[in-house]
Amino acid sequence: MKTSVLLIGGFDMTKTLSASLIQKGYKVTAIHPDYEKCKQLAEIEGLHVINGDGTKPFILEEAGTAHAGIAIALTDNDDDNLVISELCKKKFGVKKTVCTIKNGENTAFFRKMGVDAVVCATNAISGIIEQQAFVDEMTTLIPIGEGRLSIAEIPISETAPAVGKKLWEINLPKEVIVGCILRQETNIIPRGDTRVLAGDVLILLSSTKQEITAVHALTGR
Amino acid sequence: MNIFSKTKDTDYTIIIGCGRLGANLANTLSENGTNVLIMDKYENSFRKLSSSYGGLTLVGDATDISALKEAGIEHAQVFVSVTNNDNANIMAAQIAKESYHIPHVVCRLYDPERECVYHEFGIETICPAVLSEKEISKLLGGSVYQLEAQRI
Repeated sequence: MKTSVLLIGGFDMTKTLSASLIQKGYKVTAIHPDYEKCKQLAEIEGLHVINGDGTKPFILEEAGTAHAGIAIALTDNDDDNLVISELCKKKFGVKKTVCTIKNGENTAFFRKMGVDAVVCATNAISGIIEQQAFVDEMTTLIPIGEGRLSIAEIPISETAPAVGKKLWEINLPKEVIVGCILRQETNIIPRGDTRVLAGDVLILLSSTKQEITAVHALTGR
Repeated sequence: MNIFSKTKDTDYTIIIGCGRLGANLANTLSENGTNVLIMDKYENSFRKLSSSYGGLTLVGDATDISALKEAGIEHAQVFVSVTNNDNANIMAAQIAKESYHIPHVVCRLYDPERECVYHEFGIETICPAVLSEKEISKLLGGSVYQLEAQRI
């Protein structure tokens, strides 16, 4: 049987998420308090739309929350999202609840209250903006574990200070490791005594905020 | 009246939301000598407090943990959440109960439907609609009873 997913609140996010989830074969229901926006959402093929306030138990009941496998709370207010997640979990027995929050400080509290996955949109987006704005050297960056860890791809130019140095000679922050070096057609799993050459692409595994320091040490910028 | 009889930290009360209920409660408690802090999102709301109010006021959002810390939530014995937003009340009350283990947490909910979920958390909820309903039926019940009594 198809897993059914419930998306509560949030217009743009619901639009993108529902389209992608429906394509992957999930049964998706969206709840939104604004009637006009509901009409727009209803244009998405295969999306079941309920108009109403998702923090009210009878609306959730109408949306068939009891049969949902995953509930995702996407409203703009942290408190609404908390109530939605708790109602879904405690009253309707939804197995997995996902919640977006604005205030990153609340993450631990939401977890404690039994929300299975907490995504802080503000932190994630501001992190990405920072990386995009200040670190041109990184071509790809994949945030993992809600953005606490990231994998970055860093090309080494001829003028970079790291060229010709062994890895242990480069002053990298403690929470950063070079996981792999892509050199022309080969992949090298580096050791401390591996030399970095111009034209290499380093794959960097680092905790948040450390990658900028690491990039500075490697490329000089 | 003994001004010095109240001890410092043992009766610290935090009230969230300076509406009619919050402000009245704060005035009464402060008059009785309790240490009170009332918190509201908007500075303007504090105009509802009486001029003799002797407690503290703080502008801040009660769903923001750092604002609650600023209010000294770790020292509070009583936490009353009476904003006009049910979900904000629930969240603030849960932070008070679960993260800071405040012995008395009271929360007002306009919508009685959500009440059942929060009873199990040990949060005392007050629902104006339910209270009014009880009062009204008590009044009506009384008069109906009287009418029947007269008929007999």
